[in-house]
Order: sequence, then structure tokens, then C-alpha cells
Amino acid sequence: MAQIKEYPTEPLKIWNEAKQLRSKYYEDYLTAYERGGLRWAGGAWSFSIIPAGLGEDVYCLTGEPHGATIAFFKDFAAKCHDAVEAAGFPRTLCSYMRNYWGSILLDKYVLADGTVVDGHPAPDFIWQDHICCSHGKWYQVAKWLEEKKGKKVPMYCVDVSVGYPMDKPLEEYKINYIVQQLNDGIEWLEKVTGRKYNDKLLCEAVWNEIKATRLWAEICALNQAVPAPLDEKSMYSLYVMGTLMKHLPECVAFYERLKAEVEDRVRRGIAAVANERFRVITDTQPPWGFLQIFREMEKYGVVSLGSLYTYGLIGMWEYRPDGTWTPKELPPRKPQTREEALKMIVEWTVNRPEWAHFYLPEAKTKMMLSIVKQWNVNAVLLHYNRGCEGLSVHIAENRLGLQKAGVPVFPFEGNMGDEREFDFTGTLARLTAFFASMGLKN
Amino acid sequence: MVAEVFETFREWIDNRHEYARAWKERAGNKVVGYFCTYVPEEILYAANILPVRILGSHEPPTVTEPYIFAMYCHLCRDCLAQGLKGRFDYTDGIVEGQSCLHLRQAFNAWRLHIPTDFAYYIHVPHGIQNPHAIPYLTQELAKFKKALEDWTGKKITDEDLDRGIRIMNRNRELMRKVYEYRKLDNPKLTGLEAMEMVLSSQMVDKEEHSKLLERLLQELPNRKLDRNPGIRLMIIGSEDDDRVFMKNVEALGATFVIDEHCTGSRYIWDDVIPHEDRLFAIASRYVKRIPCPSKDWPEFTRLMHSVRLAKEFRVQGTLVIQNKFCDPHGIEIPPLKEALKSVGVETYPLEFDVTVPWGQFRTRVEAFLETLTGLEELF
Amino acid sequence: MITAGVDVGAKYVKIVLLEDGKNVLTRANGIVEFDVRKSATEVFEKALLDAGLKHEQIVQVVATGMGRKAIHKISPINAGEVVPEVIADAKGTYHLIPTVKTVIDVGAEEGRGVKVGENGKVRDFVINERCAAGAGTFIETMARALEVRVEDMGPLALKSANTIPMNAQCCVFAESEVVTLIHSKVAKEDVAKAIHDAMAGRIASMVLRVGVEKDVALIGGVARNPGFWPPLKRELNTEIVVPEYPEYVGALGAALLAFETEGQK
Repeated sequence: MAQIKEYPTEPLKIWNEAKQLRSKYYEDYLTAYERGGLRWAGGAWSFSIIPAGLGEDVYCLTGEPHGATIAFFKDFAAKCHDAVEAAGFPRTLCSYMRNYWGSILLDKYVLADGTVVDGHPAPDFIWQDHICCSHGKWYQVAKWLEEKKGKKVPMYCVDVSVGYPMDKPLEEYKINYIVQQLNDGIEWLEKVTGRKYNDKLLCEAVWNEIKATRLWAEICALNQAVPAPLDEKSMYSLYVMGTLMKHLPECVAFYERLKAEVEDRVRRGIAAVANERFRVITDTQPPWGFLQIFREMEKYGVVSLGSLYTYGLIGMWEYRPDGTWTPKELPPRKPQTREEALKMIVEWTVNRPEWAHFYLPEAKTKMMLSIVKQWNVNAVLLHYNRGCEGLSVHIAENRLGLQKAGVPVFPFEGNMGDEREFDFTGTLARLTAFFASMGLKN
Repeated sequence: MVAEVFETFREWIDNRHEYARAWKERAGNKVVGYFCTYVPEEILYAANILPVRILGSHEPPTVTEPYIFAMYCHLCRDCLAQGLKGRFDYTDGIVEGQSCLHLRQAFNAWRLHIPTDFAYYIHVPHGIQNPHAIPYLTQELAKFKKALEDWTGKKITDEDLDRGIRIMNRNRELMRKVYEYRKLDNPKLTGLEAMEMVLSSQMVDKEEHSKLLERLLQELPNRKLDRNPGIRLMIIGSEDDDRVFMKNVEALGATFVIDEHCTGSRYIWDDVIPHEDRLFAIASRYVKRIPCPSKDWPEFTRLMHSVRLAKEFRVQGTLVIQNKFCDPHGIEIPPLKEALKSVGVETYPLEFDVTVPWGQFRTRVEAFLETLTGLEELF
Repeated sequence: MITAGVDVGAKYVKIVLLEDGKNVLTRANGIVEFDVRKSATEVFEKALLDAGLKHEQIVQVVATGMGRKAIHKISPINAGEVVPEVIADAKGTYHLIPTVKTVIDVGAEEGRGVKVGENGKVRDFVINERCAAGAGTFIETMARALEVRVEDMGPLALKSANTIPMNAQCCVFAESEVVTLIHSKVAKEDVAKAIHDAMAGRIASMVLRVGVEKDVALIGGVARNPGFWPPLKRELNTEIVVPEYPEYVGALGAALLAFETEGQK
């Protein structure tokens, strides 16, 4: 039997910094008032650059990453689900949302390391976006729940449902629709916070976000190397910074350092998985409470290089004229005025790869096939995620598209945030069968 | 005579495809299927196109598995199944007015896998509570109108739009007048009949439907329904066309005197208010209409409307129909319950799927009705 | 050379003893009890007895099925290799029907759809997710509700010409609907047919995910149920072949793989 090649591996040097950055984020939100700061809650998609113009002491709690953090700590997540169901909500709703509501109902707050503190820190205002059926309503109910606890939390929500620019840019009136809402939002923020808005901070935040999202894409592009320097499970702890604070200079600095380290790993042939012999990508959020499934796959020499989700929720990409999918070019210069900043960030954001599938399944299939080709992928594992309608929408069409192109596909059902809906043993058994059909053995 | 009218509504529903085929042959014009009530039918009528709503057949939709993951609601899969089985093969095109992700999937799967001449997605805004939604939708509708003109080869004039608006407004107005008779102590029609009236309007030429409504309104005042109305119920939900359920509940000693869902009052409650800019007028109607919960944020306007309806129609209890896996409607259940309770109206939620377990539901509905009559106090 | 294939399913152990990769010497089956290894061993010994063989004469054993790990490199059966069910299904069916392209395996707890390629290799597969509405247990549960023997359910269903739509998403919901039908005095044969239609719908729905290509074979214990064939054919719009001894096809596949493994040494 042929000897299985073993690549050299090393842990990531930046790992502890990543953990600390994330811990600090959740602690800062909790302790914001100690520094005279403001707190807001909303989606990770939510144009966090806008509240950034209120000052450098504005802290946010983005809902989806927090829902994922809760899901990782299954015991606490289970309590959240119970609380939400007891309150009369169906269990089939978005699981991130239910985790977040559960926290409010239990009046508890979970930190990055799983410590559960008493008292859910209510935001001063809600700044939300509406990308799926649930997003706007998530915080509408959060607001309703906070009111029952005696706190009136004003809410603003931006509608981004204008479509996706597949082969040509979106029309001016669509961009304007979002820009106008952001403009109105700034006035609204001034009213509810009593603070004067700072356009210079806005322009900084926009440029930081654009740089951070391009940097993350560049880091993901490095995973085209064989062996892959990063594995998806590790990447979750790195990409998450973009979901929490992509508008902050700390995020840009972190990604710059990370990129340098990954480039070095590629130069020296350092692998994420020593026995890498089969490369896969996944799709949608993983079942957060069961990330050990990635380590199980590694026993078969399987490395997950990432996914359109890991690459394209935060990373910004575009197609070159030659058809290569590549990190998006930065705009020519940093915005100088509010008008420029708003238009720039809206045009940047609507090109988000993880926005495509909300409208055009074929656009997502195209990008997935580009990843398969350029990253040298052997198979695709599709997470039919019952916890998220938004990211699972049209996933069956993507499966058909990938199969039509001759790519082996393994779909499995699960739930990113509700541990009751992922059958770890059963999925592992199916995965084993899939790997066996691919000629892989443990 | 009234019985004949309701019988016609039922026939139209049961034979919707035969009706549409015959219309197409008679009129020589196109038929377009639509999924959601956010499609501005006024513009389709203006183009002399018959809009027909694509709804399911309440059979388990086996054939949709390769195209839509079963976690999405039975309605969207049932709708797609009708297309895959060729039942709507007489349609010349499909249109979707942006609403929920589920129907969006049905639309896209249809577009990708079922040959059709014209497939159009109107990005009806979700942010209906913000002032920019109407000007934005006006421009979207201009784009839609142009697409229809290119497809049919015929310009749509202001007069055409006026005609479309008139047809839709008239039909809605007449149905609202019929709804007034549900306010009576002894309503002149059952909830099932009201549902069949509205449902059938979504499947046939509304001018024909309006003629029948006019006849109905002449006769309805004289109608004496030979039944005890029983408990006055409201049915609130996502899309609901489960006639068997309506019939079964009303046979237990109750009448659905009002509804709040999109094969009911939500479809007919608001008109287009004339304006020089016809597309602006239509856009205004679709932004300001009683919303689908997917669009109703940050304020709960639909809930407040439901409370008003409950008071106006003197509702004693509400059945909330939750289509399994529907997030926007499911999210609103506890706030809805609280809002209705604040005006003394109790609610009972039931989870619906493609078929309904009447045995289980009967027990629950009976128990709910008993709590409303206060019979439990006897024991 | 004699090899053995052991399929340790959710409810039954099935064993095939195979000579030279082609002659079936014997088939044996038995119920899986709490001690899975013991149940498998008893059936293995029964098979040896039937074939007049000693354990030492079995050159290689390959195990498949949910409980395969209980006998993998564990005495006395000591299976040398374990393979997932879909691999064994594809192999076994291809051996019996070389033109097969789609295999549908419906057992007690699982339903599987397998696309078969050259030499019985698996091209694609699907397994029902967590729901028993598409498996033999569903029929058993419903048979109890109807007070009919399991083996009579199929012939009973065939007596009906009526169609009653039933929820095919969930076994529990479906049982509730069956109870309602019984209380509504619907004829037993109509209820039985509705049950088979619902199950066929569930299985067909799953198989359609991988697509249907002829020739289509139906294996597993439920394949013996004649009430299942008409609705499945109708849902998939294709003819279906049921090989002899359909419940042993997985074990046969495992025995063939054992022969191949030995041949490669």
C-alpha cells in the first residue's frame, strides 16, 4: 500500500490573539457603560459603519455571532430553546434568533469562553438590517421582550432587499434606496443618542471595512495552496472577527498580521492537516455545537478548506475578465464625505458573495464551482441547515448545479444553532459511507 | 340564488385550470401565474393578461425534493409541485412579488426547471415603514411594466392602468361589502363561504367575479342561514386555503366571522388611491396595504390591525394557523396572542402542514370552543 | 474459497455464505436483541450448521449494517472489514442485476437510495434523515393501529382503489391521521393503501434527490411487501425489479466484497 504523505504542521501563532480579541469584544459590550460608552445590537450584516460615526466608544453585539457562541455551549443553548418555546414561539424558527431571545428571557449573557453572567445587557438602540424573512423581526421581538423588562429600546432597520448584481451593477435607484435609508438612519441616531454625528469617523469606518473584507478574501485565497495552510474549523475563529468588528482598525491590523503568517506557512509548506489527501469545502454555517466533526473527517485525510460562507460572508470577491474569482479590488481612494462613504459602502456590500444566493441560485453555484476549480476541491459537503432559512435558501439548486458539473456532493441535514436537530452519530455514519464511496479509509 | 353564487365560487376553485384554459381560448390573451399577493395584478390586467394565483393541492409534494429542501413550508413546495406536474402548463409566464424566502424558492425552481416564456421577479421592498419604499417601488414597477410591454409587444397606457386599477379596486370593494354581512349577530355567510369567495377571485377574471358579487350583494340581505352561528371566531395566519378545516371547525358550533390572512381580508382590505402618476398610486397601495409579517417591522402594524378587526367583528376567540416552518408568521404568535388578549380575545395556535390531522385538531378546537363558552366552569 | 457477508441491521441479522464469489451456499437470519454480538453469533452458527461448514473454512468475513462494529475484529465472528450499507447494497444488487443503475433499499429503520456505477461502485447515495416514515417500522406501527398482521398489510392495501392523501413528512403525524381515519370508519383496505402510498411518497421523495435511472431495483425487507410496489412505481414513474431474497442483498454484497478483498491478497 502507498505511504500516506505527511506534511509538516504548526499551530497558528496568532491563535491566542484571536481568542483575546473576541473575548474583549464580548466583555467590552457588557462593560460599555463603565467607560461612558453606548451599546447597540443588530445583525452582523448591519452596516456597522454607521453607528461608528457616533464616537469611538460605541460597542456592538452582532446577533448572529452571538447566537453561534451560545450554540457552541450546548447546555446553555438548550436552556435558551426551552425558554423561547415556553414563551410560545415555534421551534422551527431561526436558531440564532431563538438563542438570542433565550438569553433575554433568561436574563443571562454568555461570554466567549462560555462563562454565563447574570443580567442580559440591553442595548441603547437597535440598528438592524433585513436580509431574510427573520432579520427585521428578530429585533422587533427583542425590542418587545426588552420592553417587558422595563426598557424601551428604539429600533431602526435598513431594508437591503434590492437584488444581487450578477452580470451587471445594480441600477442607481436601488443603490439610492439603501443610501437614503442610511442617511435617514444617521439623523435617527443623532436623535435617539443625543450625539452629534462625525462624518470623519464614518469615512474611517467605511475604509476599514473595505480593507478588512478584502484582506480576509486574500487570506482565504491562500488556501488554494497544497497543502492548505488553514482548515475551516480554525478559520471560524479567524473569520469571526469580520462579523464582529470589520469597521474597526483592530480588525484590519489583525487580518494584516494573519495574512503575513499564512503567506509564511504557504512558503514553508506548513499544512493545517498533516495527512491531507482529500480536499473538501462545506456550505452554510456549521452545526456549531459539533465542530468535532471536522476532526473526525481529518482521520480520513480530509481537510475542509472553507466554504463560500467562510470566504464570502465577510470576504469580498469579484470575477476578473479571465473568469478567475479573486479578492475584490479596493476603490481608488478612501471616501472623503458622508455622501461618498455611504454610496461606496452600499455598492461594496451588495456585491457580497453570500448575498447572491438570496436571489440567484445560479450565481452561487458559479462561485462554488470557481472555488472547486481554483482551490482544487475534490468534493462538496452541503449542510442543509434547518436553523437558517436565509443561508439554506436554494441550496437544493446548488446541489443540482454542482452535480451537473460532475462534482461529488454530500448533503446532510442539521442545525447551526439547535443541538437537538443535528444527529452527530448518524451524520458521521453517512460521511463514512461517502468517504468509502470516494475510496477513503480511516 | 345565493347558493348558486357560492356554488360557482366553489366550481371555479375546483376547476381552476379548466377555467383558465377556457378563458385563454376565448380571450386569446396570455395567462400569468403568480405566487404572492404582492404582485400588482393591476398592471397585469392593464396588459390584458389574466393573473392566476398558484396555490397547492394539499397532496404530499414528493416531486419537489430535488429542488427545495423539505425544511421550507409546504405551501412553497406544493406550489412548485403543481408546476412540475404540469397542472399550470397553460400559463405563459410567472411573476413573483418579493415576499418570503420560501415562495422565492418556488419561483426560482419553476424558472429554472419548468419551461416558461416569461419569469419576472419584482423586488417589492420589505422596508414598507420607511418613506423611501414608495418611490423605490414606483421605479421597480416602471421596470416591470416595460418588461411586460417588451414581452407582449404592446404599450401599456395610462388608460390601461386606470382600467386595471378599476377592475382590482371594484372587486376588492365588493368583497369588503360582503364582509360587512359577517359583522351581524347572525352572519349571512360562513367563514368557509367567505374564503371561497376570496380564493376564487384569485383564480378567475375579476370582472366576471365582480358581476357575480354584484348579484350576491343584491340577494345577501334576504338570506337566512339555517344554522346557529355559535362562537364568533377569527382565523389568523399565513396563507390558508384549507377549506376542509374551515368546514370542520364551523360544524362544531362556530362561525369564522373574520380572517386575517392572504386568501382572505389581507388580499382585499386596501385599494389603489388614484393619482396622476398611476405607478406611484399602485406602488403606494402595495407599500401601505396590510402587510405580510415578512415586511412588518419595526412596528407591529399587522397586529394592531388584527386587534381592530377582532373588535369590529366582535370576535370571541382566534385560531392562529401557523404553517410549519413559516418564520415571519411564527415570530408574531406570542405578540399577537398578547395583543388580542389585551382586548379580551383568547387565541389558540395550530400548526398546519400539507395535510391536516383533523382528529388531533378536533380535540383541541372543541376544547378551545368550550373555554370560550365558559362551560368548563360547570365542572 | 468461502466468504461470509454479515448484515447487522436495526432489527434483523442477515448472513450469506458464498463460494468462490458466486454460489450462495446458504442464507440465515435472526432477530437482533440487546446483545448485538451474541445475536449475530447465533445466526452465524446457524448458517454454518445449515451449510455443513466449520468456522475455520470461512476465509474472510465482511460486515455491514448499523451494528457492524459489534463484530468488527471481535470474536467469534471476527469480521476483517466493515463497509457502509450503501457499498454492500450496490455490490450485491449489481451482482444479481448487472444492468442496475438505481438501488432502493428499505429496511426496518432506514431507507436508502443508491446510484450504481461500473462494477457495482457507488456513484451517489441518499439516506432518509432521522424520520421513520420511510422505513419498515412505519408499516409495523400502522399494522398495530389497524389490528392487522404485518404480512397482511400489503395484500390488504392492494384491495383498495381509493386515494386518501396522508402526511408523509413524519411517522408520528401520519399515525395520528391513521387514528382519525379509523375513527371516521374508513375501510381498512383504504387506510392500508394510504399508509403504503405515504411511505412510497416518502421513499420516492428521497430517491428523487439522487435521481432515478433504469434499471431500478428494490431491496431490503420491505421489498417483500407487494402493497409497496404499485405506489412506488407510480411515484417514480418507472418499472422496478425486486430480486429474489431482497433482504439478503446487503449481506450478499458484503460476502462479495470479502471475496474481492481475499482475491487482492
